[in-house]
This record gives sequence, structure tokens and C-alpha cells, in this order.
Amino acid sequence: MQPANASTKEVRLSVEQVSYAYSPNPNQAPIFTLEASSFQARAGEIVAILGPNASGKSTLLKLIAGTQPPLSGRVLLNGETTHSLTPRVRAQRIAMVQQESPLLFPTRAWEFVLQGRHAYGGSLQFESANDMTIARNALSQVTASHLADRWMDQVSGGEKQRIVLARALAQQPVLLLLDEPTLHLDIGAQVGLLDTLRKLANENRYTVVIVTHELNLAAQYADQIVLLHKGKSLRVGPPGVVYQRELLEQVFQTPLAVEMESSGRPRVTVLPTS
Amino acid sequence: MRDVTDELGRKIQIPQNIHRVVSLAPSVTETLYALGVQDRLVGDSDYCDYPPEAKQKPHVGGTISPSIETIASLHPDVVLVTKGINRLDTVNSLASLGIPSYAMDPHSVAEILTSTQRLADLMGAAQAGDTLATELRRQLAETHERVAPYPPRRVLYVVWPQPLISIGQDTFMADALRYSGAISIVNEPQSWPQISLEEVARQQPEFLVFSGSHMASASVNIDALAESPGWRILNAVRERRFANTSDAIERTSPRIVSAIAELAKQFHPEAFKVPTTFGFPAGGLPPIPTQDAPLPTEVKPTPRPPQAQLESIGTAECACAR
Amino acid sequence: MRPLTFTRLIVNCLYLAVILFVVMVIALKLGAVPVSLYGLAADLLQVLFHRTSALSSNYDLIVIDIRLPRILLGIVVGASLSVAGTAFQALLRNPLADPYILGASSGASLGAILTLIVQPYIALPLAISVVFTPVGAFVGAAVTIAAVYFLGRRDGTLDSNTLLLSGIVSGSFLSAIIMFLMSTLAGRGDLRGILFWLMGDLSTTLQPSLRWVLGVGFLIASGVIYSTASDLNLMLNGEKEAMHLGVDVPRVRLVVYLAASILTGIAVSVSGAIGYVGLLVPHVMRLIFGSDHRILIPTSAFGGAIAVVLADTLARTVVAPSELPVGAMTALAGAPLFIYLLRRKFA
Repeated sequence: MQPANASTKEVRLSVEQVSYAYSPNPNQAPIFTLEASSFQARAGEIVAILGPNASGKSTLLKLIAGTQPPLSGRVLLNGETTHSLTPRVRAQRIAMVQQESPLLFPTRAWEFVLQGRHAYGGSLQFESANDMTIARNALSQVTASHLADRWMDQVSGGEKQRIVLARALAQQPVLLLLDEPTLHLDIGAQVGLLDTLRKLANENRYTVVIVTHELNLAAQYADQIVLLHKGKSLRVGPPGVVYQRELLEQVFQTPLAVEMESSGRPRVTVLPTS
Repeated sequence: MRDVTDELGRKIQIPQNIHRVVSLAPSVTETLYALGVQDRLVGDSDYCDYPPEAKQKPHVGGTISPSIETIASLHPDVVLVTKGINRLDTVNSLASLGIPSYAMDPHSVAEILTSTQRLADLMGAAQAGDTLATELRRQLAETHERVAPYPPRRVLYVVWPQPLISIGQDTFMADALRYSGAISIVNEPQSWPQISLEEVARQQPEFLVFSGSHMASASVNIDALAESPGWRILNAVRERRFANTSDAIERTSPRIVSAIAELAKQFHPEAFKVPTTFGFPAGGLPPIPTQDAPLPTEVKPTPRPPQAQLESIGTAECACAR
Repeated sequence: MRPLTFTRLIVNCLYLAVILFVVMVIALKLGAVPVSLYGLAADLLQVLFHRTSALSSNYDLIVIDIRLPRILLGIVVGASLSVAGTAFQALLRNPLADPYILGASSGASLGAILTLIVQPYIALPLAISVVFTPVGAFVGAAVTIAAVYFLGRRDGTLDSNTLLLSGIVSGSFLSAIIMFLMSTLAGRGDLRGILFWLMGDLSTTLQPSLRWVLGVGFLIASGVIYSTASDLNLMLNGEKEAMHLGVDVPRVRLVVYLAASILTGIAVSVSGAIGYVGLLVPHVMRLIFGSDHRILIPTSAFGGAIAVVLADTLARTVVAPSELPVGAMTALAGAPLFIYLLRRKFA
């Protein structure tokens, strides 16, 4: 699918020189998990934060989400620093899809999706008809309406991921963040999920940031790649620009071949090491 | 050595003459002093506080977990225990060290007196035992005479107010109340039953009885009780009809007889307008002299016609000249 | 798709309120002293109109002054323990949590024992001595709550696992001190009463001032917990997720911890540690009404009240005129119920 025309939009998400470090204990010098990184994203864009494990991807995502203050720099969403928002307002702007903790008590899919409306609730927090409609729409947007009455511990991995995405959509955010959403999915589900994200970004003008280590999926669907290696952002740009063989081999520590396809997007092949 | 059976039916072997004893219960210590054999008491528990001299004796620990080693180091001929206060484990531990224990277990006032006599026999002071028992019986009879004409007072013995704990009908305290011209309104078989305040309110006892130890700040607590919901509907609380005595009432020792007399005076003051023929101090009896010393001349019991057996005093008609 | 509505909440609460009322009437009727319902109703009306002196008989005075306050105490204590139990199960994400798991009840018991030990030796004005033991118990609970709070923090905010561990350790430590005190002071008659109290006992007659504190404290603390009901729903599914969905997790943790601990402290200070109520009532209510805390919290309150009043009525009548500790009744009923629920895997 082709991205919608993004060039006329103004910058929605601006990540400016953010870094993060922590000290395991007060006497030790802090370890930098992320050194100054920057990028920008517009409405309707999909950004992939790419890199191997322990490259700082999840840290960067948390800083964007605003749940962790950066050591330096700032993250602006429509001009507001994400970290300074109250949790309630933040949830109305930013939605996160990540690996879920196991559910303690059984929940139905529609109840689960309704949780996305929490940030809009009044003090007594009873859901309105409007909330129900939004939840229903969210489920249909991810083609999971038929799962509405199922128990969450009885759906497959791919179905569960779609329901979690529906909950994120129910928050009516402007920014969608996903942390390794394809990890436990089979190929069909992976492609289905990313197709859905592309469609949502195009039609609903979401800005989508995905953390992944899947080189080809990122190449196929992302408008921008942020390439991270050991906490440093090595390159930011469209896939065709970032996917240089030497660069990728250095980051992923394995022999690769990169080919440009007719669509303009690169394809990466992993070469056998022997 | 001789064979002796204690009050629990246990057979023990002790020397013919007892020279050294350890007492693990306050009531036993008091009894030994009352019998005048306290110089043979070589150790007692931390809680043995009457008479005050008993506190000077070497301590062997608490009543529930005394130090077996300390007891053993005192080389007693026999260790004196009671079923109500001491534990069987202690007795067994001492037995495994070759130290016999003699257990006492009186359940009524009469049994307290016979228990005292048997202890006296054990200690080779039978004469002192008989004298003491006779004196105690006389004092009991005197008290009984005074209160017999009057209907017994219905009372509640308060061990603890919140939750409300009283005494069972088979305890020696309930028996003691009967001697003092009262009857406990609680009819439970357990020794320390928790009683419903409602039931007490329904029965409306004439007196509430408290004993010494935890009523140290007595006046303050009673006033507090008078204001408490539930308690304030008891006539006894409204009219402040409280009877008070030392902790002697809770000990199976000779002093219980004086506690009975104290209570009798509070339950039936009209019976005591005439001074008694014996004026022993509220704290206890004068020590019974040993065989060799002359009898003190100020104690002059008035000769009386023979009394009925003590056990039937509560129920039989009093056959005394009154 | 049928979400919880305000109407459904009110209707379910009304059902439970009716059941509670029936249980109350039964409890008023039964006891060591016989009571007629008609006379009782007439007397209650008299009391409502402040004409206590016009009560018809001594028996009615017993009911109004002794039995009714006891039943009301049972209601507030049962409701407090159940709400606290529900809150702790959500806060700690642990279905085995009960109100005592974080040590507040051990602290309260220790406070009460210390007041009993100390009271004969110090002279207190009347107004203080009547409330000395419950206040001492509550102070004990409060100190424990504060200590566990400070121990349960990680990186400056409460962390569920650290909190659970520090609570359990503190509770054990305090229980050890209690055992030590009870064994070394075993000779003293004062402490005979504490055994019954440690098992849970509703026979304590409360001063009117304490009654107000209890009632108001319950309403405020439960209200605070209820205001976080929606947040708790989300937090149960994971704290990180809850944060992304708009829940201020550190604030909710602190608020719920304090409110639930205060509820527990108040309940234990006046009635000792009644067991199984805070653990099981939330599970039973979950079976019937679901895990949504907006309905679970109020129904647990009613359920706890009903359970405790029933248990106390049994404790008062089974061996009348003698009494059993109410904690024994809840344990006798609670343990089999617990096993039954285990087999249903906390549905």
C-alpha cells in the first residue's frame, strides 16, 4: 500500500535529543541505555524503530510515551511535552500496544476494549452509549467484531493482538505506539496486523511508531526508519536510505544482502554464514 | 523412702523426711508458710508473692515454664505443683531427672482444707496441718453462721469485663462464693466461660464481684464501666454494688477463708454488725505456731457445739445455738 | 455487550440491603434473651423518636442497649473487612490477600496488649481510660501501616511485590513479639481476656464517641476506595498497561493502601482479628457479580456485613448463655468455603 500524501502535514511528533541513563545502585556511575536521539513524524506516518536486542528501542518508546522522563532532551506531541501531561490526558493522546501481563480475572473482549475509554470517564466512571459505540467501532476496525463476546484467555495470539489494538484505538489517540507487536505472531497474522496499521494511518491519520527487529516488515510498511545500535541512533530516514548493507551488517552482526525492489522499498536477505 | 499417692492419683517415691521442697504455685507457697514449714522451702516461682517473705526465696522461673535446671540445682526432695497452674511437661521433665513432683488439685473449699492437711502430712507436720485445718473450719463455720439466716445473694464474678469472662459452677471460686453467702449466676461447666452480657442483664445480679490483681486502678475502671452501654442497665452497676477482695479468692490456699469472710461482710453487712469473735487481719491468718512453741493467748476460740460436716454446710439447716 | 450501569449497581445493592435487613431482624430476635418482634418494632420506633425512657420492659432495654449496638458493630466491621480485602486483592494483584496480610492487625493486637499491660500502672482521666485499649490498638495499626509503607517503597513509590513482602515480614515480626509478651506475662490474670480478643470478638461495648469514629471512618475510607474502583479494574490487568490507559498508578496505590489499611485498623481495634471475612467475601461476590470493582466493592461491603452478623448470631446462640468467639465461627464456615472456591479456581 502506498502512504498517503504526508508532505503537506505539519510535524506532530518531535523527538529532540532524548537520552536516558540509570544507576543500578547509588554508588555506581550511570549506564546510558539511550544516547541523544532525534526524529520527527507527521500525521499518517509509520515510523519503525529498528535494531537488535538491547539497542535501546524500548527505552526510546517509553520516553516517547511519556511514562519515563528523559535524562536530556524532550518529546513534543503537538507542541506539548509528553512527560508533563497528566496520566489521564496522556491516555487521551497516546495509546500503547505491548506485551500484556497475564489477566488475573477472566475478562470478555468487549470489556477489555472498553478499558480504553477509561481516560474519558467521569468521576463515577460508568460507560455511556457513546463509549459502547466507540468500542464497537474499534473492534470492527481491526476486523475482530466477531470476537466481542469471547473470553480473553480463549482467543489465539493473533486475535488477542488485534483486540489489544482495538483497545488502543478506543482511546482515540493521535499517536499509536507498538512494542514488538509481531513477536508471537505467525506470518499471516504479522502481515494482517501491519496492513491494518497502514490502513488506520492512512484513513484515520494516526501517527504510528513501531519498535521491531523485523527488517523486512519494517522496510515494507514504514515511512521512516530509526536505526538504533547499542543505545545510539545511527541513521534516521526512509528505508531506502537507511538500509545500507554495511550499516545493517554492522548493527545486526550477520552477513546480509540488500536489494531494491520495484516498489522503491528495499528487501533484505540473510546470507548463510558458512 | 516411702510411696505416696498425690491428688491426681500419681504414685511417687519420696524420702521419709522431706527437708527441701520447691513450690511452683503461689497457693502452695502460701500454704507452706501457713503451716510454718517455710524454712524447708528452698525455691519458689516468680509469682509467689504472699507472704512478702516468699519473694526473698530463690526463684525458679514462671509457673508455666520454670527453669528445670534451676530447680534441679536446688536439689529438692519433692517439687510441689498444682494441676490448674502448672504443666504436665514440667512434671515429666523433672521426673526424667529423678525429681518427684507432688500435685495438688482441689476443686472446692472443703478440698482445699483436706489438701492442706495432706500436704502437712507429706511435710511431716501433721499436727500443724490438723491445727490449721481445724482453725480454718472454725472460721468458715463462723462466717456461715452469720450469713446462713439470709438468702444467698445472686452475684456475678467478673474475671474480665471485655470480653465478659466469669467462673464456672464447678470451680473452687464458685464454691467459695457459696460459703460467703452468695451464689454465682453463671451455670456453665467450663472453668472460664465467656458470658453474654444480655444474659447478665436479664438475671440482674445483686453484686458484681471483682478480685484484687487487675482492679488495681479499681475506682477508675468501675466508673468507666458504669458509663458503658450495656453495663449501665445492670442494677448492680447503677447502684454501685461491687464486692471486692484480694486475689486470695483465686488461690487454693488457706487465705481463701479470709477472702470468703471479706466477701461475706460485703454481701451481708447486716449480719456483721456484732464484732466477730476472731479478728484476723484482712490479709491472712497469723502463722500457726510449731509444736514446741506455746499457743498465743490472744486467740481464744469460743467453744461451740459440734458442727455438721463442712460439705453439707451450704444445704443443711444450721444446728447451732443462735 | 452489556456493560455495568448505574441502575444495575443500585438494584443489586438493594437486593443485598434487603437480605441484610432480614438478617438483622433475625439477629435481633435470637439471643440469650427472648424477644418478640412486634414489641421490638414498637420499641425501635420509640428510640427513633428519642423516647428511650418509655421502653416497655427490661428485655427491650437489653436489646436496644446491648444487642442492637452489637449487630450494628458487626455490620460495620464486616463491611470494613470485606472492602479492605477487596482492595488489597486488587492492590497486590493476589487472590490470596486478606486485610491482615500487610501486618495492620498484628500491629493493632500488639497495641492492645501493650495498653492492657500498662493500664494498671498509670492513672488516666476517665474519658481516656474508657477508650484506651481501642485507641492503643489503632495506634499500633497506624505505626505498622507507616512502617510497611516505608519498607514497601522502591524508587520512591509503592511497589506491589515489595509491599507484600514487607507486610508479611512485619506481620510475622509483630506476631512474634506478641507471643513473647504473652508467654512471659502468662502469670498475669489481665491477659486472659486478650486471647478471646485475638480471635475476634464483637462483645465489646463501644463508647458512643468510638461509634461515631468507626462509622464515619468506614464511610470515608470506603468512599475513597470506591472512587478508585475503575482504576483498580485496569490495574488488575497490569500496572504498566493501566498507566498507559490513563491511571495514575502511584497515586492510586498510595491512596488505596492507606484507605484499606485504615479500614482494617479501625475494624481490628474494636473487634480483634476476625478471620476469613476479608479473604472470602470478595471471592463469593466475584462469583455472583463479576470482577468489576464498581459493583464488587459495594456488594462486598454488604456481603461482609451479612456474613459477620450471621456468624456473630451463631456465636451468641449456639452455647447460650455462654459465647464463642466470632472468629471461631467464621473460621468454621470459612475454611470449607475456601476449599470449595479453590476447586472452582476463583471463577
